[in-house]
Amino acid sequence: MALNYYHIFKRVKEARKLVIKGITVAGSGHPGGSFSMAEIMGCMYFKFLKYDPKNPLWVDRDRLVLSKGHASPGLFSNLAVAGFFDKSEMETLRKFGSKLQGHPDFKCPGVEFCGGSLGLGLSFSTGMALAARIDGKNHHIYTIIGDGESDEGQVWEAAMTGSKYRVDNLTVFLDRNFIQQDDYTERIMPLDEELIGDDISEMWKNAARWKVGDKWRSFGWNVLEIDGHRIEQIVKAVNSALQTKGTPSIIVSRTIKGKSVEHMEDNPKWHGVAPNPQISPIIDLELDCQYLISPSIIAGDMANLENEVKRAAHARADFIHLDVMDGMFVQNKTFDYEKIKQLRPITPIPFDTHLMINEPVKHVRNYVDAGCDIITIHAEVCDESSFGEIHDILRSNEVSVGLAINPDTELPPWSEKFIPDLDQLIIMSVIPGKSGQKYIESVHEKTQRIAKFLSERKFEGLIEADGGVDLSNVESCFLDGARVFVGGSAIIGQKDVRTTILEFRKKILHARRNLLIRKAHSLGGIELVNKWIDLHEVGKKKTELLQIAKEAGFA
Amino acid sequence: MTEFADMRSVYGDTLIKLGEQNPDIVVVGADTTDSLKTKPFGKKFPNRFFNVGIAEANLITIAAGLANEGKIPFASTYAAFLPGRCVDQIRNAIAYPSRNGKSGLNVKMVVSHGGLSVGPDGGSHQQIEDIAIMRVIPNVKVFVPADTIAVEKLTEIFSQVYGPCYMRLARSKTPVIHPKDQEFKMGKGIVLRDGSDCTIAACGITVSIALEAADALKQEGIACRVIDMFSIKPIDSELLEKAARETGGIVTCEEHNVMAGFGSAVAETISDTYPVPVKRIGARDQFGESARDNEIPLLLEKHGITSIHISNTVKSIRSQTR
Repeated sequence: MALNYYHIFKRVKEARKLVIKGITVAGSGHPGGSFSMAEIMGCMYFKFLKYDPKNPLWVDRDRLVLSKGHASPGLFSNLAVAGFFDKSEMETLRKFGSKLQGHPDFKCPGVEFCGGSLGLGLSFSTGMALAARIDGKNHHIYTIIGDGESDEGQVWEAAMTGSKYRVDNLTVFLDRNFIQQDDYTERIMPLDEELIGDDISEMWKNAARWKVGDKWRSFGWNVLEIDGHRIEQIVKAVNSALQTKGTPSIIVSRTIKGKSVEHMEDNPKWHGVAPNPQISPIIDLELDCQYLISPSIIAGDMANLENEVKRAAHARADFIHLDVMDGMFVQNKTFDYEKIKQLRPITPIPFDTHLMINEPVKHVRNYVDAGCDIITIHAEVCDESSFGEIHDILRSNEVSVGLAINPDTELPPWSEKFIPDLDQLIIMSVIPGKSGQKYIESVHEKTQRIAKFLSERKFEGLIEADGGVDLSNVESCFLDGARVFVGGSAIIGQKDVRTTILEFRKKILHARRNLLIRKAHSLGGIELVNKWIDLHEVGKKKTELLQIAKEAGFA
Repeated sequence: MTEFADMRSVYGDTLIKLGEQNPDIVVVGADTTDSLKTKPFGKKFPNRFFNVGIAEANLITIAAGLANEGKIPFASTYAAFLPGRCVDQIRNAIAYPSRNGKSGLNVKMVVSHGGLSVGPDGGSHQQIEDIAIMRVIPNVKVFVPADTIAVEKLTEIFSQVYGPCYMRLARSKTPVIHPKDQEFKMGKGIVLRDGSDCTIAACGITVSIALEAADALKQEGIACRVIDMFSIKPIDSELLEKAARETGGIVTCEEHNVMAGFGSAVAETISDTYPVPVKRIGARDQFGESARDNEIPLLLEKHGITSIHISNTVKSIRSQTR
């Protein structure tokens, strides 16, 4: 099975929005810890957990215990998206008579543990795992614990017990977001090492300084250490944990508290504060403005594509863009599924495969089997029936579904029925066939038009800008509505891919900030712009935002 | 000659008997399984027995997880540590979680070494707060049996009736008071002596002291009603109301802090139903202290837990009500 990347991605986004909705109406709650574990929860509910929303206590279901119970909105939102109850109920969060209590509670279907008092969940999960063993059941128990929570001695009592009884039907996530209620964890009670100074980002990045994994290793656990916001890393780690026998596993997931909302990220203040209702729509837009970088490896050394994949992976690309050309649909020929099969073991980063081939319906299975995670098909070589067939093949293999159009092509009428379910739309901005062409200017207008058209038709996927995207135009592409950016010569063609990707991200962030400032202005004038900017307390964000606002004439 | 028997041995034996009948019964211990006599259960059913080491918080929460999956865990250690060390876990992992009309999780907490009669181990280990702690937690039922007959019957009942239950056993052997065929029901006290001059309500080891007092008073022509109130929560308010109405006063006795414990539970009930004078005998809001086995009566005496003090208290109530 492939990653089911977009399936998870879309639901993570929706769940984050529901968290904001619930907490805003409630006027209190914990957004920070709900967002740091958002991707983990998404992978759990939309990839791994076996459950039945109509029968929440089905005996053979997998169990997810949210031990860090204050992040309950992050659980409730996923249960709502998974269909345990109506999404509109998120607005009853923390309200008298609601099933959505301040902390996870059996009043809410799908909740497996009444969390709240920290340090209890792992012991409780161990009891569940032991019971499953007595009964010879095959379901799995997953537990999410916090790093602040790890101050509780009981966590380590349970760690010893899990090891003693070899509960390999139990997998723990440590949501390592470095922040607890009072301050940074490394100031309150270091799990790695004491924090000197104010910058936790250095510690976050420097693997040599992480010691919490060693603690668990010394307790006899199978320890996996990942970036807890990267879907592919979570999926890989869980698969590895599920295959590990004779010992429980813990996935130490480095995360960012408040992830995806800039002013909440890494700010201890947002551990347990509700957003102002005036700010919520800006947050909503921000959540719609997540962006991904997909370097196209054919811009590199075609004789050593393995190395190009490695360069992209090392540079922390979000996707690896694979341009498959057959010499018929386009003049050039690149590589086919056999090559992809060889490249696949190099990295778990999603393979974003762009099939520029004739009769894709005949070949698509090979690309699924080769390990592609996203497969994009050209509209020019499909009709309703063949695309429908491809769509079904991809879905049944958990491959995300993309559609591509050439610069001179419009979305065909038959594609309309697929739009709500479509994961990705590639709008080509060069004539497909070879790398290194210039961006066709008229595609800006086309993208804006299509973005509007798609949003009116319940499109939940992302638009991918592909062709001639570089540092000079990536901001415009973002403002057009594109959220995934393919970079050929502008990224892979550069010597230092890592720095280049960082520069791309910086540019896009600049455009996003601009967009959000405009949104704030449209909602509440300069006053709201300033109010929103003032929220950005950590690092240099505030100064940078003020500069952008000034340039835009809003400050 | 009064027969004495060991509560913990009876508890352990009963668990094995129940374990043979019901595969859902599991036992969890915390390095005191030898003392609590649950080790033989582990020998017999190794897959249903877990010793988590000296980690009571973990013990009780693992039991909660097992109960959540339909098991009937019996979690046992000394009262000083359960509830002493894990009120939070009992409250949040066992008592609070409720669904489908079932209140709390089905964990059976059976502890030994309750009260002052723990003796030599001293005040640190003489748990005199457990009844108070446990009875104020919603959904938790609280029992303090007087003898091994009660222990056996209550252990059986625990395996049949759903819900979080707490039972406190004594460390030392206790006199056998009840006949073998005595019926026990949750929420029902047992009248051991009938009388209409005053009532003595007791629990645990103080029941036999109450009987001594009643026998002595009888010599003086005072007929006391003696009730074994092994079920502290739910409490037999009907029986207590009847006793209040018919005897005009109640003396309570417990080896527990006189505050917020069994006597307070009786006083609360009586004030709600048929107010009459209630006098409470128990540890006088002071910690216990070491006493060798043969000195335990001295320790109890220090707190007024003697048949003479009970007798005198009965008389003082009678002088008050006449």
